[in-house]
Amino acid sequence: MSHMTNPLATPEQLYKRRTIGSLPLELQDAIFFSTQCLTQAAGILLQLPQSITAQANVLLARYWLIDPMMSHEFAEVSAAAIFLVAKIGPSPRAPRDISNVYAYLLSSSSAFFKPSSDSPPENNPESYYRSESDYQSFHSRILAIEGRIFYALGFDTHISLPHPLAITYLQALDFLNFDKEILAKRTLEYLNTALLSPQMLYCTCQPNALAVAAIYNAAKDVGAKMPDNEWWEVFDVDREELGFLVMGMRSVEGWVKKMREEDMPKMKEGMITRKDVQEVLASKGIKIAGVSAPVEEDPEAAMARKMDEKMDEMETT
Amino acid sequence: MASKGSRWADDGEDAALEAQRKKEKEEKKRLKAEKARKIEAEKQEREKAAAEPKPAQDETNSANGPPAKRRKVSPERETATATTQHGTAAVLNGADDTSKLLRFEGGTFNRCRSVENYDKLNDIEEGAYGWVSRARELSTGKVVALKRLKTDPKDRAGLPVTGLREIQILKDCDNRNVVKLREVVVGDDTSKIENVFLVLEFLEHDLKSILEDMPQPFLASEVKTLLLQLASGLSYLHDHYILHRDLKTSNLLLNNRGQLKIADFGMARYIGDPPPKLTQLVVTLWYRAPELLLGATKYNSAIDMWSIGCIFGELLTREPLLQGKNEVDELTKIFELCGIPTEESWPSFRRLPNAKGLRFPPNSAATGSVIRAKFPLLTAAGVSLLNGLLSLNPESRPTAKEMLAHDYFKQDPKPKVEEMFPTFPSKAGQERRRRRDTPNAPGRGEKAAELGQVDFSGLFAGREREEKGGGFSLRMV
Repeated sequence: MSHMTNPLATPEQLYKRRTIGSLPLELQDAIFFSTQCLTQAAGILLQLPQSITAQANVLLARYWLIDPMMSHEFAEVSAAAIFLVAKIGPSPRAPRDISNVYAYLLSSSSAFFKPSSDSPPENNPESYYRSESDYQSFHSRILAIEGRIFYALGFDTHISLPHPLAITYLQALDFLNFDKEILAKRTLEYLNTALLSPQMLYCTCQPNALAVAAIYNAAKDVGAKMPDNEWWEVFDVDREELGFLVMGMRSVEGWVKKMREEDMPKMKEGMITRKDVQEVLASKGIKIAGVSAPVEEDPEAAMARKMDEKMDEMETT
Repeated sequence: MASKGSRWADDGEDAALEAQRKKEKEEKKRLKAEKARKIEAEKQEREKAAAEPKPAQDETNSANGPPAKRRKVSPERETATATTQHGTAAVLNGADDTSKLLRFEGGTFNRCRSVENYDKLNDIEEGAYGWVSRARELSTGKVVALKRLKTDPKDRAGLPVTGLREIQILKDCDNRNVVKLREVVVGDDTSKIENVFLVLEFLEHDLKSILEDMPQPFLASEVKTLLLQLASGLSYLHDHYILHRDLKTSNLLLNNRGQLKIADFGMARYIGDPPPKLTQLVVTLWYRAPELLLGATKYNSAIDMWSIGCIFGELLTREPLLQGKNEVDELTKIFELCGIPTEESWPSFRRLPNAKGLRFPPNSAATGSVIRAKFPLLTAAGVSLLNGLLSLNPESRPTAKEMLAHDYFKQDPKPKVEEMFPTFPSKAGQERRRRRDTPNAPGRGEKAAELGQVDFSGLFAGREREEKGGGFSLRMV
């Protein structure tokens, strides 16, 4: 049965996000969404199968229910999640590759989170060059966060994705009047979008419910005829949960639009960082325990970086 | 269901507001519909007409708006619950409701506890992948085995992937013949995760030390009990797409109630069907299947069955069956015992990477299996099972399930009841260090041995002069 179930968040864990001392919810949601998008983008550039990247998404969501968001740089938590899931799975990725991919995605050369209307940014290799010392310190931080994630989740990395279930259910339902490919594609799109939802659907619902809700939405979208009876009960989903999930999955798009317009205009310039969040907090005059000014660079790392820069200068001249 | 409502209330305030608005709208709609229904109560047909558009409206609502508190109920139940104000919850819990939904319990996730919750009693062993010690949980007094994950802070690969896989697999397993992982705990300093301990159920013995110390071998009935448990545990693993890849007597634990459990999943991994390309560097040499020695990168659960065959032999003689000094020597010993493979018995073996340089005696007359002769006390059914498990061709080996149904276990002497199993002095519990002289499973990243040119043609030279068949021996069963 373990192939069909996931450990879920407890009400206390969900409630903790809202308590005093945590970040304002809209900020948390913006951070969650952008980091999950970053993970997806990195998964594509690392040529990982979606089954691995999606697991990294779920793991990241679980992790942030235990540890505060501000304890590490968001992009690095994302990188650590990808590194870890790929490592225990069948397709490990070298830390060096991960470092390069994240350096690129966060640079001014990548189109990640830039408005799609603009022309693609100019490719400037220098903007995503990472010096050896930068790489080493990035690598060390990833390993430290890896340990934190394992520790926070009690070393439980079990994740059942709803994707294969959804395909099985679609086959069982057999939408005769409809092109299977279109319907299945739409279903998977809903499942993948749900990974990004700050409602953390994958941490609150079992895969069978996610699969059924995605099928319901997809069938509605493409106009495929569903059975008239309560077919979702066949898959052990009750109407209440289905209704919640159907809504949750549908609301992501609208929410993202609104958030990017109003709450987090910074997201138009690329991935948000801890510094951005601190600035927003400062501008709103909110003080949060444990969230201080940006951490000073480690003097040793700073020295190493300066030396690297010197070397670069010497080489270019 | 009300608690569920509050649980999801963190959609953000606007979502709640929107829901409120929608709810009010719904309320108005419902009142309107109810009013209409009251007026036209006598006219049956017209009432139906009034009710019909309602489901259609709700259909669009459920798709585009937030879930309303009061919802459409399914058509066939509409009459029964038209006036219920509690919506689906009431319907689903209603007495006339017959559908029972399965609830999937996946548990929760939370931080590791500290190793300080346990009190170390004594060391048990130091293996290739970490050390094990006996400990007591302070709060419950329960005795457990603590297995420390070997971590190296200088290792730039982070936490060791073998240990992580072991945790992942053991967490997913729940079988009486597979050792149970209770939890994972970490050292007190949580700023760096370096000290990681697996809390496993404690069993008094491992099969290897029992075999080493027992003055008399196991009785036939006892061997059967052990093999049955081993096969049933392995059948569970294989059913769940897990290959153990390091079965040997020192990895089989036994408690004082005659229960055997498979342990040490440091080499184990999930495989698909068809299996992916895997490393051939698995399984301790003495228990390693011939296809692995011949360099196969595609293999399946049959490699575990070969190891069971080796364990079977070891249970009978108290000595590891095939103690090769290196890969070539191991293959030699295998061919000595099981005969040499032929195109008929193992059609594809010539295509394996390491099989090209092998030379065999030209005629296969005297090159068959000598298992029958080596185990004179074993019944015919026993020999047939052992022969099957030690088939050179992986396709010919029985699966764990087939093994469970083998005649050997049905014939007299019947497998001994577990509770009647003899007990042994526990080394693990007696604060004594155990020496280990089985070679270890190969390490990750080691280079696989190339067999090169090997000549087996002299292997069976003196075969004819050897004594055939067993002597006579009488033993109580």
